[in-house]
Parts: sequence; C-alpha cells; structure tokens
Amino acid sequence: MIELYAITSHPGPPLPDVAPLREIERDRLSAVIAHIDEEPVATADRLWHHERVVEALMQSRNLLPVRYGTCLPDEDAVAGALDRRREELITALEFVRGAVEVSVRVFGQGSEDQRDASDRNRSGADYLREKARRGHERARAVSAVHEPLRALARADAERPATLDRELLRSAFLVDRPRVATFSRLVAALQASHPGLQLLCTGPWPPYSFAQR
Amino acid sequence: MTALAEQDVALIDLLDRLLGGGVVIFGDITLAAADVDLVYVGLRALVASVATATEKGVLPELGSAL
Amino acid sequence: MTDKLLHRPPDPDLLAGSLPSIDPVLSRRVNADPENLERGLAQLVLTLVELLRQLMERQALRRIDDGTLSEDQIERLGRTFMLLAERMEELRHEFGLDEEDLNLNLGPLGNLL
Repeated sequence: MIELYAITSHPGPPLPDVAPLREIERDRLSAVIAHIDEEPVATADRLWHHERVVEALMQSRNLLPVRYGTCLPDEDAVAGALDRRREELITALEFVRGAVEVSVRVFGQGSEDQRDASDRNRSGADYLREKARRGHERARAVSAVHEPLRALARADAERPATLDRELLRSAFLVDRPRVATFSRLVAALQASHPGLQLLCTGPWPPYSFAQR
Repeated sequence: MTALAEQDVALIDLLDRLLGGGVVIFGDITLAAADVDLVYVGLRALVASVATATEKGVLPELGSAL
Repeated sequence: MTDKLLHRPPDPDLLAGSLPSIDPVLSRRVNADPENLERGLAQLVLTLVELLRQLMERQALRRIDDGTLSEDQIERLGRTFMLLAERMEELRHEFGLDEEDLNLNLGPLGNLL
C-alpha cells in the first residue's frame, strides 16, 4: 500500500531524510510517497509527523499537499492518477509557487440563544432572527477582517465555519515574504475590533489551494 | 476551564487542512463508479448555475404558500 | 510545532471545547471507500438538498429584512427550516457525512457552501 504526501514538479532536488520517502515520476510531475503496511492510524502525533514531512519537502520544493490518509494500492495507481490530472496539477503547482497558506478564523460574541441551538421548542421566529443576527455579524466580520487581509494575499478561500461562535473561516495564499506583514495586520485588526476574536495560524502548505 | 495549549490550538487548524484540504486522489475508478462520476459532474454544473441564478435574482422568489 | 500560532484570540476560554476527538473524525475519512456508490449518491443528493435549504433560508432572511413577511409566516417558515436542518443533520450522520462533505467545489465559482 502507498501513502501519498504531496505532488511536486519533476525533475526536482533530492528527497529530505525525514522519512522513508520515494518519488514516482511521470512527465513533468512527481508524487512523493511512502510504502506502508496498513492504513494510517489516527493520532495527533501521526498528523504532526505527516505535516513535518510535507513541510520538510516544502523547504526545497514547490508542492501541492495531498489530503491526509490518501492511500493507493500500488505505484501504477499513483502514476495513473498523475496522468489523469496532469494539466490541472501543473496549473495548480504554478499557482501556489512561492506562497504559503495562512488560516484566519473570526469568532463573535454569540448570543444568549446560542445554547438553545438544539431546542426544538424554540420558536421558528427566534430561529430565523438568530440566523439573521449571525448573518449580519458575519457580514461585518467579512468587511472588517477578510477584506483588508485579502489585499495582502495572492488568493483567498472561505471554508464552512462550524465551531461555536465562529463567524468566518478563511484561508489565504500569501507570498512567503509577506507572511510577517500579514501577521501584523491580523494583530492590528484584532486591536481595532475588540468585539471580535481572531485566530491566525500558519504558515501551512497550500491545502486550500491545491485543487481549484 | 484551562486554556488550550498552543500546540492544540494549532492542531485544530492542522486537522481542518489535512482532512478538508489538499489534493484528493482516488485509485483507478471502476466502471460503475465512473458512471456515477459523470452524473456527479453534470449535476455540479446544474448546482453552480442555480446558485449563480439566485445571486443574480433570476430565480423566482419564494411564494407565500408556506 | 508550536510556531504555527501567528495570533491567538485574547479570550483564553474561546477554544476550550473545540478540539474534536480525532479518532472518529479520521477513521471515517481514512476508511471512506471512494467506490461506495451509495455514499457517493447520498453525498450528492444531500449536497443539493443543503443548497436548496440554504437558498431558501437566505431568501426568507431577505424578505424579513424587507419587511414583506408577516409574523405568522416568519414563525411557520422558521419552524420549517429548523426541522429541515435537524433532519439534514440526522441524514448526514446516517451516511457518515460531515458538513465539509456537502461542500462541493465548483471550480471558478469557489466552494458551494
């Protein structure tokens, strides 16, 4: 069984020593893989290890990270996947070259109704008014936080915000040299919007921009 | 309530990326699944046009039947 | 890797309950069989239903803002949407799908949800 870590360009530099990695090369693309005996086990340590491998690769290569847990039966299957998606992957690789992903989440105040989310006896009107309130809060978060940050990014993507009080969840593709400036802007936006709570993490490999 | 350790806070975003992002690759598709794939792609286009049409106000508004 | 935190929210309790238990989340995804037709179809159908549900809710909110719905209509619409949302969640769980699974990527239009 083969576990996939990332898609990169071929030819490329030697693989880093961080894990027993191999490369499967097809035309201008290469897949960085490892042979494994069984499907990956789910633990925080395993996830961080996977991340370290991808980031070690990223130090010397431009790459598209592959979704965690992607396993294929053999090298032919990997080669086939590269063949089928060649142009799309090459385009995506060019799009992310020289950039990293930064995650930004905006949390709001929530309301007293928050805890009643599963209360079937809540009135229909309350349900809709709560939706409206969240919608307005979200729109304010977008203009207060997302829009200014977009100006510093090559691209941005929105993801479903599923946590308690989470209004907005965004991913930004930021040129490497601009990450520090981006970070400072997040801190400045937090300072000027005390009613919002911002969480910013990164740099990450470009997970949210690997497929367009 | 103790605050989450920094590593755990970062783990929340790591999970979101590793599981929700990245290139999605499946193995060679069997014939049966390939047929479904075509249907999926076709409906994706339909869904996209519904979403766009609504944003542009082209779709009729909800009636008051509800 | 503690160097990932570029900015932490000021409220230390904000994320306290948010670290999901990893095992159920991952084992469902890692074991997801891409050739499982039933799951693939369920995913597609539920995504469409979710799209319609969100479009309808958005439309209702617009009408509330415009003031063109009566209190009675708001109440009835709200209850319908609540029940629909609940049912959707049940269906998602039945098929082992989470919110992210119902988020189609529409290419240049970005993600559906």
